[in-house]
Amino acid sequence: MSDFRPTFRPALGAKTAITSAEVKLSALPEGAIVQVLAPPGEQDVASFLSGLGKGGVRTFSPGQWLIVGDEPMTQEDMKTLFETLEPRATGVDQSAGRARIRIDGKQAGRVLSKGTALDLSADAFPVGRSATTLIGHIAAHITRIDSDSFELIVLRGFAESLWDDLTRMSAEYR
Amino acid sequence: MASLVPCPHCGARPKEEFTVKGAAQVRPAPDTDKKSWVDYVYLRENPRGRYEEFWHHTSGCRRWLVVIRDTATHEIESSCDAAFAGQTDART
Repeated sequence: MSDFRPTFRPALGAKTAITSAEVKLSALPEGAIVQVLAPPGEQDVASFLSGLGKGGVRTFSPGQWLIVGDEPMTQEDMKTLFETLEPRATGVDQSAGRARIRIDGKQAGRVLSKGTALDLSADAFPVGRSATTLIGHIAAHITRIDSDSFELIVLRGFAESLWDDLTRMSAEYR
Repeated sequence: MASLVPCPHCGARPKEEFTVKGAAQVRPAPDTDKKSWVDYVYLRENPRGRYEEFWHHTSGCRRWLVVIRDTATHEIESSCDAAFAGQTDART
């Protein structure tokens, strides 16, 4: 066995949350993120996943979903979940691969609009809607979790960079 | 080039999210003659007007699309998923 031991630290551990009246930026707990892939033609997968009660279900792309939870999942739990998904879908553990950022406040939508071409108006992007898009040059997954709150899921290695971008994008509202 | 590309899964998105592969041609049968393969691999029409291309929604749904656009006016006539045409909206 190697002497090298990886140091576990949160992707955004070095960042301080931004709290102002107009916009708030915070790192969400690094719990569990499971990517679910279903074969074409499989029906009602989203409701099946919600029914499992393992966390929030986010649409990722056609035939793909993310299950996100604030609590980390043990290897045993993860294995059980993967077995429950079969044969309708296949799960991939993304908990260490992606980080979650939360942005709230009256100006949250405006901050994001500086980086993405996505229409974030309440009509086009209602609560619960998700989309994968670019924020600046970084690919990110946006979900509206409340009228003025968004959850961003980003590849872990890009999390700090996206955080810095969001800090700069929100500067005028602080 | 058109700046907004209609994705059948994601709606209108900026072209920066996409990667263009080129003409959407039908792949010849493996045992077909050499001329057809040379045509398929190297030769392109380059028309002024309607053109069918493969576009990959790299920073979005990551699906391969067939986009029909006009090379002169930049207008996009239609787009569909390369694998399953006419799939319903996946955003909900």
